[in-house]
Amino acid sequence: MANIEFNKNVSFQDWQANFEQWAEEAPEGALKRYYQAGMIHATTPLKDAPLLALDLETTGLDPKIDEIISLGLIPMTHNAIRCQGARYWMAKPKHDLHAESVTIHEITHAELAQAPRLDSILDEILDTLIQQVVVVHCVSIERQFLLEASLKRYGYPLYFPVLDTMDIERQVQHKPWWKRFGKPPSLRLDACRQRYHLPRYKAHHALTDALSSAELLQAQIAYHMDVNADISDYWL
Amino acid sequence: MDVELTEILEAICQHAPFNDIAEEAQLSEMTKEIEIQYVRAGEWVISPGTLNNTLFFIRSGAIEALSKNDKLIRRMNEGELFGYASLLRGGKSSQSMRAIEDSLLYRIPARWFLKLYEENDTFSDFFELAREVRLRLAMDSQSSDVSLMTCPVISLLRRQPVSAKADSDILTAAQIMTEKRVSSLLITEQDELIGIVTDRDLRTRALAKGLALDTPISEIMTPDPIVMDSRDYASEAVLKMMERNVHHLPVIKDNRPIGVVSTGDIVQKESHGSVYLISDIFKQSSIEGLQAISRKMTHTFTQLVVADANTQMIGNAMSHIGTAFVKRLLQLAEDQFGKPPVPYCFVALGSQAREEQIIKTDQDNALILSDKYDESLHGEYFEQLSEWVCQNLDKCGYDLCSGDIMASNPRWRQPISVWKQYFTDWIREPKAEALLRLSIFFDLRGIYGDKTLATKLNRHIRAEAKAHSGFLTFMARNANQRKPPLGFFRQFVLDGEGKQSRTFNLKERGIAPIIDIVRVHALAIGSDKLNTLERLEDIEAEGLLPDGRAKDLALALEMIGMVRIRHQKDQIDAGETPNNHVNPANLSSFEKRHLRDAFDIVARQQEFIKFRYAGKRS
Repeated sequence: MANIEFNKNVSFQDWQANFEQWAEEAPEGALKRYYQAGMIHATTPLKDAPLLALDLETTGLDPKIDEIISLGLIPMTHNAIRCQGARYWMAKPKHDLHAESVTIHEITHAELAQAPRLDSILDEILDTLIQQVVVVHCVSIERQFLLEASLKRYGYPLYFPVLDTMDIERQVQHKPWWKRFGKPPSLRLDACRQRYHLPRYKAHHALTDALSSAELLQAQIAYHMDVNADISDYWL
Repeated sequence: MDVELTEILEAICQHAPFNDIAEEAQLSEMTKEIEIQYVRAGEWVISPGTLNNTLFFIRSGAIEALSKNDKLIRRMNEGELFGYASLLRGGKSSQSMRAIEDSLLYRIPARWFLKLYEENDTFSDFFELAREVRLRLAMDSQSSDVSLMTCPVISLLRRQPVSAKADSDILTAAQIMTEKRVSSLLITEQDELIGIVTDRDLRTRALAKGLALDTPISEIMTPDPIVMDSRDYASEAVLKMMERNVHHLPVIKDNRPIGVVSTGDIVQKESHGSVYLISDIFKQSSIEGLQAISRKMTHTFTQLVVADANTQMIGNAMSHIGTAFVKRLLQLAEDQFGKPPVPYCFVALGSQAREEQIIKTDQDNALILSDKYDESLHGEYFEQLSEWVCQNLDKCGYDLCSGDIMASNPRWRQPISVWKQYFTDWIREPKAEALLRLSIFFDLRGIYGDKTLATKLNRHIRAEAKAHSGFLTFMARNANQRKPPLGFFRQFVLDGEGKQSRTFNLKERGIAPIIDIVRVHALAIGSDKLNTLERLEDIEAEGLLPDGRAKDLALALEMIGMVRIRHQKDQIDAGETPNNHVNPANLSSFEKRHLRDAFDIVARQQEFIKFRYAGKRS
């Protein structure tokens, strides 16, 4: 199958240069360290890029109001997901949980009551993100929630390069208007996974969902992407 | 925070051998070192000639293994493992692995595989490359301790033997039996067993005949009774009772009787009635009566299966029952048509001759007549007799042979000299196609009449076969006609060229090939045995096969036979007619794995006989 021609003009970023700039501006501490460590060069081939699949669970959908309550990470390359480096945190929210989000996440009040505040673990999370290209399904959620968390904690935004499996799938599934009929294909994580014959998992656990996106990216790479292409062809 | 990848751990723990590892903590540790890899359909996982340092677990999808010359070896799906063979050989892989569907694989580091292999017996047993060992363990673990198969006859003895001296009179004997509440009395002389008397003997041989009460017991006893050795298994006692139609067997240790096993003891132990069934057969004087008994046979069969009897024992029991039907029918026929004008022997062919009969079977039989036979004088008698017996066997559930190999066919009702000529022709000028049909004639057992006729014919067959190696070449070629499947893939049976089918015939493709292989070897060494396991013992004693190979075949036969018997029992329970068509969807993963091993043994032994009896190329 031919590789999909990705929209290279969209939001091209020289993450390496940006990181140097942000390293200057960021306040002393974990965030500065994160930026100082730098980012891989835009011409790094996809196959050599250090990737880190990430998923968040939150109390709701509004990054301004809602809070992160758990975060899962799993390191990977284009052909291997390493369970060894998997990490998982829970964070106690400042506001009470809605009953409905409890049922979604299966995380209980009791569990969260034991957990530390996000502020106290954000340094640790940032350390694991150093030099990694983050893999998520639906970039806006993860990016905005972490940005807000960073603003609250450090008074300065957190930016990071992302491979978004949802965006990749959107481009893969894209058809010119004259070939479209019926409902557009679903871009939900589970629906995307089924397209590649990946097994079905129970959703809404941050680590399982991180693993889900990691496997999905591998499948997308196997089918549609060029491992020798520059990472900048794909990252957002 | 301790990270638990529950999705991965749960997936692994659902499958053998991981589901047998008690320490979940250890598996959880292992899970953390797993790497996950997605492979697109058509791509290599282990490409030809590369090294491998990983144990692969198939989380989803399917993988096929190919040999060096690109031949399909097996297909694997969810939950199966591969790559271990090369790990045990230090990384060199003799098979290459390719995804045939989009697959998600868990790569378990070699270090973990070797650690578990070292530390955990269940784990290493699973990967044991000597498949035969695995089969053996599987068979061992299946037989329960309480079954007749494993319990020694001595364990059935519940009391000291009750005996009387040979010069006691029948009154004293009856009094002893009443007082001790036994149904049989051992008759001894200087502590050695010389006879046995049963309740029934007292009734039929003494009371009914009006013998005086002071008649010595030795006059009505059964002298030199059939006995069991104290080391024999209870199952052997059952077979002996069925074979000889007796209900009491004295058990002997160091030449002294130590007790008696009765059918009652056996029935208590196992509650199956095959022993009674046989004596019932001999009590019938009408076809209706025999038919009524034949309807109980399925019940007897399922009870034997439930009682954990092995295939050898079930085959034996079913054959004895079948033989009893034949014998009784011939007795009734002789009552009806008169005594035979010249000696004859009714012979069983095929499975009944090998004592490997099963529940649903056609009749295969023939008649050997004495050379005194004169068709114009005796032809009509034997025609009537054979026709009557075969038709009534059919009524008793032994269907008429579709190939017309029956005593009722004049071609198979011949004087011994004609029979000898038949075999001489078949052996000296073998024709492949004809032999395929005729192979059951090489399993031939006299079951009624003048059995020396069958013995003589068998001797002739052995001598001819041994002297004509070209014949063995043909038989070996025939034994290679029916190939076992390669294995299973999901709900399909997998064949050599990747062909997949829904069901397969376990008899045609598993049991018959083994029987064929063993028959060739048995003919080659001139064994006079007919039963496949007994033939294998002879073959092993002869040293014809490399060490252990005869046992492998026996195990494979037992394994396949067991699956067939359970399959047939399930069919009977479901109210269906038992057959040999097995659907892999109904097999457990345990059965599939071991069947595959058994098929592998059969395939290799088929190869072996091809070369062993290669003969001259024509």
